[in-house]
Amino acid sequence: MNDDLQPDPFLADAPLDALFAAARAPTPADLGAADRFLGRQAGLQADRSRRRRHQLRLWVSSALGVAAAAGGLLLLRPAPAELPSSAAYSVYQSALGDGW
Amino acid sequence: MRGKLLTAVLLAALLPLGWSAAQTAPAPASVGLQTTPAATPSPINGLVSALKKSLGAEARGEAVLELVFPPSANPLRNARSLPRLGAVPGLIRRNFTVTVSPDTVAGRPARRYALTPTNPLAARWVIWTDQQWNVPLAYQERMSGGSLARRAELTTVNPALSRLTRAGSVRTVRPALRRALLSALPGLKLPDGFEPVSVQTQPGTTDTMPPAVEVLLSDGLNVLALVVSPRPVKAASGVGVRQLGAQSVWLVGNLPQSALDDALNSIRRANVQAVSALPGTFGAPAASDQ
Repeated sequence: MNDDLQPDPFLADAPLDALFAAARAPTPADLGAADRFLGRQAGLQADRSRRRRHQLRLWVSSALGVAAAAGGLLLLRPAPAELPSSAAYSVYQSALGDGW
Repeated sequence: MRGKLLTAVLLAALLPLGWSAAQTAPAPASVGLQTTPAATPSPINGLVSALKKSLGAEARGEAVLELVFPPSANPLRNARSLPRLGAVPGLIRRNFTVTVSPDTVAGRPARRYALTPTNPLAARWVIWTDQQWNVPLAYQERMSGGSLARRAELTTVNPALSRLTRAGSVRTVRPALRRALLSALPGLKLPDGFEPVSVQTQPGTTDTMPPAVEVLLSDGLNVLALVVSPRPVKAASGVGVRQLGAQSVWLVGNLPQSALDDALNSIRRANVQAVSALPGTFGAPAASDQ
């Protein structure tokens, strides 16, 4: 029972204070951390933009390609075959009436 | 009194002589009794009455048919009767001047009607009718230049007139069809004298005959076939063609090429929906065409 009342050496104030003090004091490793962080963020942002632009370019190219293909198909589609003039004469002969 | 009696007796004796002489020999105009000749129909009325009678009766025998336009492999052939003319009386009255003279066909006395169109580019016609039966015995169509386009002629004629079991019908002008046609093909110029008289849809069952709307134009005797089709046709003599987007318009007939092209050149567009609706355009025939 009494053992439970003994202070824990790891929870003593002195080591904790030293630890906090060490954490508060800037070290050489801390110098430029914000710049590095912001730089990394800017890099990430730039990557994302590059990827987005790339995707947009891909999408536009694909759309243009599909449109060009469709246009080409429409333009280069074989025109309806021209009928021989006998087809026109046949219609005319029918118009002349029975017996001809 | 005695003088009057003598005059009456003399007149009674001379009158029968004078009548008899007038009946047997042509007397000089100043001699004998004058009789009122029976009213003879004008050439156009005589021709129209013969064309109308031919819808219910015809002369038969041996006939020769010659078709120069449209060109065909066998332009000459024989038949037992003449092909129907498909005339439009009202348009003949409007578009032709007619003269008549006596003639003979297959040994029968005939009337020869010469028809000159008011449109100098249209074909000219000669129609021979039997003097006794008043039905056609022969006819021929000549191009504006004078060369033959087609002819039909009975070379021998059966002794009796033949009644047709199925009477033909007279084509008539349809003003409603004209309005609808000009609306469907804005800019179309109908050649002078020609009017639309019928329209039909061609279902396009064969490869050489695609789906199409065919409008028949007539000036009374000459016909033109106006076709609206998704398939173009090769232009040739007597065939005018104009491409309008996905539609092709053909005008076929016995007119100079320039006249066919002029009719089509100003068409601005083909209203496909209105063209498709043309066969349903049934208006009352024009009163003047009966």
